[in-house]
Amino acid sequence: MSIRTILAASCTLVALQSALPAFAQDKALAITIYADDLALVQDKRPVDVTGGRQRIEFAGVSAQIRPETVSLSANGVTIVEQNFDFDLLTPAKLMEKAVGSVVTIVRVNPATGQEVREQAEVLATNNGVVLKIGERIEVLRDDGLPVRVIFDKVPENLRSRPTLSVTVDGDRRGSRPATLSYLTSGLGWRADYVALFDDASSKIDVQGWVTLTNSSGTTYDNADTTLVAGSPLRAGGGYDDQRYGRPQRPQLVTAGTETGDRERLGDFYLYPLAERTTIANMQTKQVSFLDVHGVPAKHGYEFRNYWMGTQEEPQSAKTVYRFATGSADGLGDQLPAGVLRFYMRDKQGDPQFIGESTIDHTPMGSTLSVSTGDAFDVKVKPVVEKRERLSSRRWRTTMKYTLSNASPRAVTVALQQDGLWGDTRIQSETMRSTRPNADMAEWQVNVPANGATELTVVFDSSY
Amino acid sequence: MRFAHPRRLFLAAIAFIAAHAAAHAQDLTASAPVDVSVTVYRDPYRNAGGFDLNNLNGFALITETRRVVLTPGQHRLRFEGVADGIEPASAIVTGLPSGVIEKNRDAALLSPAALVDAAEAQQGRVLLSRTAPNGTTSRREGVIRSGADGGVVFETPDGVEALRCSGLAETVSFEATRTGLSAQPTLSVLTRVNQRIEATVQLSYLARGFDWAADYIVSLSPDGRKLDVGGWITLANGNGTGFPNARVQIVAGRLNRESGEIEPIDFGRPILARCWPRGSTSDTPDPAYIERAYPLGFEPDRYSTRNYMAMPAPTAAMAESKMDDVVVTAARRAEQEDLGDLKLYRVPDRSTVASRQAKQVRLLDSLAVPVSRTYDFDLYPNNTMEFEPMEVILRTQNDTASNLGIPLPSGRVSVFETAGSGATSRRLLAGETSLRDLAVNEETEFLLSGGAAVQIRQTTESRQRPDPQPPGVKGQTIRTGARFNMVDLVEITNAHPFPIQAEVSVYLADNEELVRADRDPERKNGRPIFRMTVPANESLEFRYQTVEYN
Repeated sequence: MSIRTILAASCTLVALQSALPAFAQDKALAITIYADDLALVQDKRPVDVTGGRQRIEFAGVSAQIRPETVSLSANGVTIVEQNFDFDLLTPAKLMEKAVGSVVTIVRVNPATGQEVREQAEVLATNNGVVLKIGERIEVLRDDGLPVRVIFDKVPENLRSRPTLSVTVDGDRRGSRPATLSYLTSGLGWRADYVALFDDASSKIDVQGWVTLTNSSGTTYDNADTTLVAGSPLRAGGGYDDQRYGRPQRPQLVTAGTETGDRERLGDFYLYPLAERTTIANMQTKQVSFLDVHGVPAKHGYEFRNYWMGTQEEPQSAKTVYRFATGSADGLGDQLPAGVLRFYMRDKQGDPQFIGESTIDHTPMGSTLSVSTGDAFDVKVKPVVEKRERLSSRRWRTTMKYTLSNASPRAVTVALQQDGLWGDTRIQSETMRSTRPNADMAEWQVNVPANGATELTVVFDSSY
Repeated sequence: MRFAHPRRLFLAAIAFIAAHAAAHAQDLTASAPVDVSVTVYRDPYRNAGGFDLNNLNGFALITETRRVVLTPGQHRLRFEGVADGIEPASAIVTGLPSGVIEKNRDAALLSPAALVDAAEAQQGRVLLSRTAPNGTTSRREGVIRSGADGGVVFETPDGVEALRCSGLAETVSFEATRTGLSAQPTLSVLTRVNQRIEATVQLSYLARGFDWAADYIVSLSPDGRKLDVGGWITLANGNGTGFPNARVQIVAGRLNRESGEIEPIDFGRPILARCWPRGSTSDTPDPAYIERAYPLGFEPDRYSTRNYMAMPAPTAAMAESKMDDVVVTAARRAEQEDLGDLKLYRVPDRSTVASRQAKQVRLLDSLAVPVSRTYDFDLYPNNTMEFEPMEVILRTQNDTASNLGIPLPSGRVSVFETAGSGATSRRLLAGETSLRDLAVNEETEFLLSGGAAVQIRQTTESRQRPDPQPPGVKGQTIRTGARFNMVDLVEITNAHPFPIQAEVSVYLADNEELVRADRDPERKNGRPIFRMTVPANESLEFRYQTVEYN
C-alpha cells in the first residue's frame, strides 16, 4: 500500500481530526544549532495540569540531552524535581525489576503444544532466575523446556529510550502552554561550498550549503531551525572544533571589515532556515545559503621550504586559488566555517573535482588563499649548495632552488624560504625577494612554459 | 488490555497522516541513472605501492543523469542506489527548474534493528508468531515496547514478554508501509514546482571506498641498456553499488582532502535475543542469538586485517583477492588530458565499474627506453662499515628522446630481466620499486636492491700520519681551527664480468668539509659525490679525509 492510498483511504478520518486533540501540530519545536556540536532545543507544547503534584513526561527529547540544562516554564507551575531516566527496558532489566513480584509462567508441552499456566514469584535473578511456585522453588527453564514468562506491566522507570520527567506542583487544573528548553549534543552543522573554477576567464561560481547532521538519537519534527556561525563555548568544557585540522598555511590573507546584512547574535551571524524542517535521526540535511557567479579568482602556485631543507627529488608546488569575499568583486558574504570543494571542467565539459580545503569563519571583505593540492607539473628542488663557517657565530649558506614547469604555459611560483629567525640576512640573490615577515623571504619566480628557472641565494646567519 | 484500546489505534493512525500531511511533500523516485560518469581519485596518503582491496581509502566523483517527471506541488525526490560511501555533504543536484529546498541523506538503512526501532518509535502493530515444538503456530498482534541494547520487549493482550526468551521459536513481522526506511542508500531532495515538467537531473557526489593505482612493468633488455615500459591503471570499487556502462576517468596527482569523518551508513546492530540471566542447576548454555548478517565486504574482520594486496599486473596473485572479480579490459590505452594542475586519464570506452570489483586499463607502452645502470651508495665519514651490497639505479629521462615524455603517475614498478639465452631463457622478476609522480622532462630513476655482486666497504685509517696522504681537493681550503678526522678507505668490489658505473655520495654534517681525496669529487644535491668505473671482475679503492670546525 502506498502512502497515497493510505491518505485516500483515510480521508474520511480527516474531518474528525479537528475534533480530537491534535497530535503533531501542538508541539512547536525551535532548534538553534551552534557550530561545535551544541544545540539549544525549545519545545513548546500544552500540558494538562491537574492541580497539585503531578509528573509530566517529555518523550522524544534528545537522547544526548544535557539534563543539567533543562528548564521548564509554564504559568502557575512550580517545579518540584526533574528526573532524567536512562535505565533502558531490556528483558534482563524487566526480570530484575520483577524480583519480589508475581509473574505468570506458561509451560508448553513440547509434544502436544498444551499450555499450563502458573503464578510464580520471582525470588532472585543472580546468574539464573529463581522462582517460587506455590510452595516449591524452581530455577526458570532449568530443564531446558520452553517456558514463557508474562509480566503484567512494564515498570515505571524502564523505557525504550531516555526520557525526561518533571514533577511539578500546579496551582489549578487546566491546560496551558509550557516551554521546555535544554542543550544537547549530537546536533551540528557546518558549511559546504562548491566552487567551480573557470580556467579561461579566471572566475569561480560558488554555492554555499549549510550541512546539518543529527546523531542525537532523536528525530525533530517540523522544527523552526536557526544556525549560529560561531562557537559560544569558551569556559570550562570549551574546545576547539576538532573535526577539521587547522590549515597549515595561512589562508586568510586579509581579514575583512565589511558588515553583512544577516541577523546577528552578539558576535555571531545567524542563518535561519526559511522553512520549518524535520531533522531525522542519522540524517544529513543541506540547505542552500549562498549562490554567486563569476567572482574573480587568481590561480597560482606556492612552495615553502624549511630552513636548510635539501630535497633529493623535486617536490610539487601547491596549487593555490585566491579570491575575495567582499561585496565589490568577491562573494559578498561572510563565510561560515566548512569545507570548500573545487571543481573544474574537463575537456568534455564535465565538472571534475580538483581538491578541497577547510576554511574558518571568514568575515566579509576578506581575501582568502586556498590550496587544493599539489601541482603535477610545477616542481621545486631546493638544495643547500654550501655551508661555510665564517666564525663561531657566523655562517654563510648558499641555497639553490630549481623550479621546473612541464606545463605548456608560463607560471609564477611564490617561493618561500622559512626559518630565517629574523636576524638572517640575504647577502646576495639572483632575483629580488620580499620579506613578508622576519622569518620568511619570498620570491615571485616566473617559470617559462616547459622550462626551468634557477634561483641562487646566499644567506648570512648566526647558526 | 491497554493495547487493544480502539482510541489509541485510531490516534496512531491520525498521527501518521498528520506527520505526512505536515511535510506536504510527495515521495517521488527518480529514474535509474541513464548516464553515469565515475572519476576515481587515489588515496592521497597512500605511498606508491598497491592498495588493500578490502580497505580502499581513495574516493570517486560520481555524476549520474536521471530522469524525473514532476507534477505541481512539493516533492521529495529520491535518488535510490547511490554509492554506500557517499559523502552527503558533497552532493550537487542540478537541472531542477525550481532549485532545491533541502537535500537529505538518511544513514539508517532497512535492517532488522531499524525495523524494531521504527516499530517501537511509531508504536506500530507487529505480528508475533510463535511455533511450539509440535509445529503448531499461534499468531498474536502486539506492539514493541523496547529494542534497547539488543533485547526486544513486546506487549500483547497477554501481557509483557521478551522475544525469544521462552525457548519457543518466536519472531515478529512488521507492517510493510510503516517502516519509512530505504533498502538502498538514498539521497533525497525537497523541491517545489508550479507546473508539470519532465526534467533531466544531474546528481554528482563524492563517494569513499574507491582507489586506483598505477603499476609499471619494466623489462630490461639483455644488454641492460634498454627498457620496455608497460603501465596499467588498476581501479577498484569497494562499494556495494555498481555503475554499469559508465564513463570512467581517473585523476593523478595529490589533492587536498579535508572532509574528515562522514556519517557512515548504519547497517543496524544485530537483534540479539538477550534474555534474563540463564543460569541453571546443571549447565550454562550461551544465550541463543540471531546472527547478524553483514553486507558483502563489511564483515568486521575485514577491517581488522590489513593485508596489502600485491597487484603488479593481472597475474595469478589476483586469485587470492577477496574481490568478486578482476576484469582486464582490452589493451586500448587511457587518454590523458590536463585537469588544472592534475592529470586526467579517460578510459577510452564506456565500461562497467561493478560493485566490489577491480578493473585494469592500459596506461602506456613505451619500447626501447635508453637507460643507464649505476651502482649507488651513501657514506658517512669517520666511520667503519663492513661490506654492504650497493644499490642499483636505472636512470633515464622522461622525455620524447627517451621514448617517454608523458606524465607518469606514482606507482609500483616491477622490473623483469631475462635469465639465460636462447630456448632456455626465462623472464624473471629482478626487482620491485616505486615511482613518484613524474612530470615530463624529469629525471626518472628506478631504484633496485642490487645483488651481492657489487659490494662496498669503508674502513677508517689512522688520523696521525696517513701514508701516503690523499691529495687535497681542488678549490677546498683548510682554514684555521680545522680538526682533521680520520682517513676513510673505500673499497668497491665488482664480481660482474663487465665494468660497472659506481656513485658514492658523502653525507657531511654542517661543520664538516671534505678536504682530501684520491679521486676528484663532483657535487650533487650539495654533497660531494665520487663517480667511477669499476673494471670487470676487479676491485677498486680510494681514500678521503674530512675536517671539522668547532
